[in-house]
Amino acid sequence: MADNRKINKKDIGKLLSEWSKEYAVFVPSREGGVAKMAKWDGADTSFMNWYRNTVVPAKSIFLPPVEEMFGFQKGKEGYNIELPQSDERKQLIFGIRPCDAKALAMLDMTFKDSYQDPYYLSKRNNTVLVGVSCTNPYDSCFCTSLGSSPGESTDVDLMLTDIGDEFFIEVVSDKGKELITTAGGVEEATETDEAKAKQVKETAYNKVTRKLDTESIKERLMPAFENQDYWEKTAAKCISCGICTFLCPTCYCFEINDELVKGEGVRFRNWDSCAFPVYTKMPMENPRLEKWRRVRQKVYHKYQFYPMNFSVIACTGCGRCIRQCPVNWDITQALNSLPARL
Amino acid sequence: MEERLRHEAKTLLEQGKVDYIVGFEQGSLKFTTAPLITNDKGDSDRLVINPFIANNLSVYLTEIEGRVGIVAKGCDSHSIVSLIQDNKLTRENVVILGVPCPGIIDLSKVEKLVGKDRDELDDITREGSQVVVTVEGKKKDFPIAEVLFDNCLGCELPTPQEYDVLLGEPVPAAVDETASKAKIEELKKMPHEQRWDFWREEFSRCIRCYACRNVCPACFCQRCFVEESEPQWILPAPRWQENLMFQVIRNIHVAGRCTDCGECERACPVNIPLRSMTKEMYNLVDELFNFKSGMDKDAAPLMTAYECEEAEDFIR
Amino acid sequence: MTITDISHRKKFLAQDNVYLPHIVVIEKIIEETPTVRTFHFNFKDEKLKKEFTFESGQFSELSVFGIGEATFCISSSPTRSDHLECAVNRVGKVTNALHRLGVGAEIGFRGPYGNSFPLDLLSGKNLIFIAGGIGLAPLRSLIWNVIDNRDKYKNIDIIYGARSPTDMCFNYDMEAWEKNKTVNMVTTVDKGDESWAGREGFVPQVLEQVAPSASDAVAVVCGPPIMIRFTFPVLEKLGFTPEQMITTLEKRMQCGVGKCGRCNIGNLYVCRDGPVFNYAQIKNFISSEY
Repeated sequence: MADNRKINKKDIGKLLSEWSKEYAVFVPSREGGVAKMAKWDGADTSFMNWYRNTVVPAKSIFLPPVEEMFGFQKGKEGYNIELPQSDERKQLIFGIRPCDAKALAMLDMTFKDSYQDPYYLSKRNNTVLVGVSCTNPYDSCFCTSLGSSPGESTDVDLMLTDIGDEFFIEVVSDKGKELITTAGGVEEATETDEAKAKQVKETAYNKVTRKLDTESIKERLMPAFENQDYWEKTAAKCISCGICTFLCPTCYCFEINDELVKGEGVRFRNWDSCAFPVYTKMPMENPRLEKWRRVRQKVYHKYQFYPMNFSVIACTGCGRCIRQCPVNWDITQALNSLPARL
Repeated sequence: MEERLRHEAKTLLEQGKVDYIVGFEQGSLKFTTAPLITNDKGDSDRLVINPFIANNLSVYLTEIEGRVGIVAKGCDSHSIVSLIQDNKLTRENVVILGVPCPGIIDLSKVEKLVGKDRDELDDITREGSQVVVTVEGKKKDFPIAEVLFDNCLGCELPTPQEYDVLLGEPVPAAVDETASKAKIEELKKMPHEQRWDFWREEFSRCIRCYACRNVCPACFCQRCFVEESEPQWILPAPRWQENLMFQVIRNIHVAGRCTDCGECERACPVNIPLRSMTKEMYNLVDELFNFKSGMDKDAAPLMTAYECEEAEDFIR
Repeated sequence: MTITDISHRKKFLAQDNVYLPHIVVIEKIIEETPTVRTFHFNFKDEKLKKEFTFESGQFSELSVFGIGEATFCISSSPTRSDHLECAVNRVGKVTNALHRLGVGAEIGFRGPYGNSFPLDLLSGKNLIFIAGGIGLAPLRSLIWNVIDNRDKYKNIDIIYGARSPTDMCFNYDMEAWEKNKTVNMVTTVDKGDESWAGREGFVPQVLEQVAPSASDAVAVVCGPPIMIRFTFPVLEKLGFTPEQMITTLEKRMQCGVGKCGRCNIGNLYVCRDGPVFNYAQIKNFISSEY
């Protein structure tokens, strides 16, 4: 394990400054009391003492809430289409949690499948992920039931674990190796450091109390699809807003709209939600007019349909949907109480 | 109160006086309750009353078909009256189980005071005019006024005026209007440019989840103006300009029907101080029209009723 | 369940960006009904005009710049492709904007997207085409495709119905098909008017009356969801197996490339795995999700 390193927490500021020369660095920041990933201001490192997850997930950097796709203008010869200026600068996200990183790996599957989505993929290919493992999961977290854990490092380039005054650094990918080899303030880690990091990860793992029995759920899901009674009861308190879907790191639905101002304009895309009644509205009818159908769609898309297409459940157990829902609609409750297979 | 509620709810369902009971049950997170909507009398034992029953359940009244027995705090009962004024409900179809409410605890205020998140707290209990928070075995107390929701601080009618059953003893009004309007007064003192900057910054966080609209009992339009495409009033893009316009127009649409229940601000996932707008609208309506929404179920709705003798001096 | 291989569909991406439209110019407009117009258009780019190909059943995303984009199936046949045709029903923002355009106007075109009718499955079989209202548009591409290669197929029955005589689309096609002795054309309306001398009745009912044989046959159905839902049981009664029943579905689509999420039926995306499906594929979800 000669690849493992460590760095004193006091030196993180310097390290980020060094990285800032080449990368646009994003760190967890608080805007108006709301934690999200934002451009580092160059000085504030207080986010290191803050051990929980952001409200808005890191997906907002790759799939922004609103994004210009191209501009158009009507010239004498007809319409001209222009792609937006792309920011060629490389990006680095510091402090991403394993659940959000796993979600990005999941989103990649959709945006790479069949047609490549140039906007998402160009950002993704341009970005290095420096993860920080969780030491204090929320009571709404359930990543451990979905093949992840507070210290899971497979989906990041470097994984940092808090071992007291220092961060233990695991080099996960080649990008990460490149990043860390020339970094200042970074020393080689000892076996004791490694053992400490392992201990920290295990403690965090055991703190996750919310559980889902995915095997049992797998069996009970399809038989429950037509169970209107169950879904009507389960969906009753949902108010069909977009909080769960917008704050979900694996949700990606968007809509495409145009804006026209005096003969020229842009086509942009913005976040959309399957929870909204107009999401599937067609001129003559709406197949998901009733709320229970929309709630059912969200659950099945994540736990049945996405796995059918990509062999992975489209949920990483980050728990934001549970924490932020104004009516405490809880997907783990909805799944755990699926009627038993007859 | 809880036992009485459970008994009443069960009886109402058993006797077929209502088709559904809408109340609160223990939530899946600490110090949280969730709405419970059920037609099964066996569920009545899940009903709870505690300092965390924040939701305004009357938002469900416009979508449930049938007669409903609903748990209503003071503010909620005003929303129900407002819905009756708007002809969305008939009084006979609602059985109001009134809960005299001494105020609901705002968990984000507790979190700020204690410096820990809600799931790290052992217990939160109300003891008279104090709130006792137990963290890691140690108890800390705070005056109740520091942890209640802003709108609870200025609540004039905590005991429902319109009810079928009053589940407890009436509660005196908390008349600390100053604390409730503190944020608004601060905004009013700001020069225009600063105020504009303030709102521009707040609304750049908005993600257009429409939780504010969907929790609001007054927002019951089948098709909201933001969902219209011909004409397209505002673009669905979450830019501060559109976000601000959305909220301003929404406020104007609910003027005279918003009862300052504070749900919009509570539901917002990005902490936009929406109540500063809605409360100001509520006060403006009172100032201009001498009308407080949700007080008299027989009154005509403010914005849709027209009298020939109305003031016309503003028409130029 | 494997993901549909669409590598053959990526030939016509503008600047390698799947969301960028090509510019097409409207060449002709036909008023089919008071609300339906067929637009004939062609690529502005000469090279694309010559090289563009597609298959019957595929759809496109047409856009009016500044207003928006919407999904339309390509209703012309690849066997007659000196230009492209789409039928547009005026129902909303984009379609209204399209109807306000005249010949010479420039619009955006993305496509061809989706899968196509399985011609190899239809080859050598008796074909029954069942269409309702504007649902004839995608089938029209297939019907002309088939008629232009007539000797590859056996019997051809076409059953077409609309709400009323004024709601019938593609009258010029129906005239041609009625005259064509190798095709059996049956038309019906839900409710006739004084000038209507033909059949009255809903398409599923007429189908039951015509009762085509299921032996060595394939039925291709397209129309409003309610018509499709009632047609399938009739076909089953006539002895058609789910694999013998093919349909092309329409759901609200936006990106057309399986990314925006809204057109799913179960785990299938209508834009990527469809819009052409056989009944066996969608049986589990047809009542709930369509």
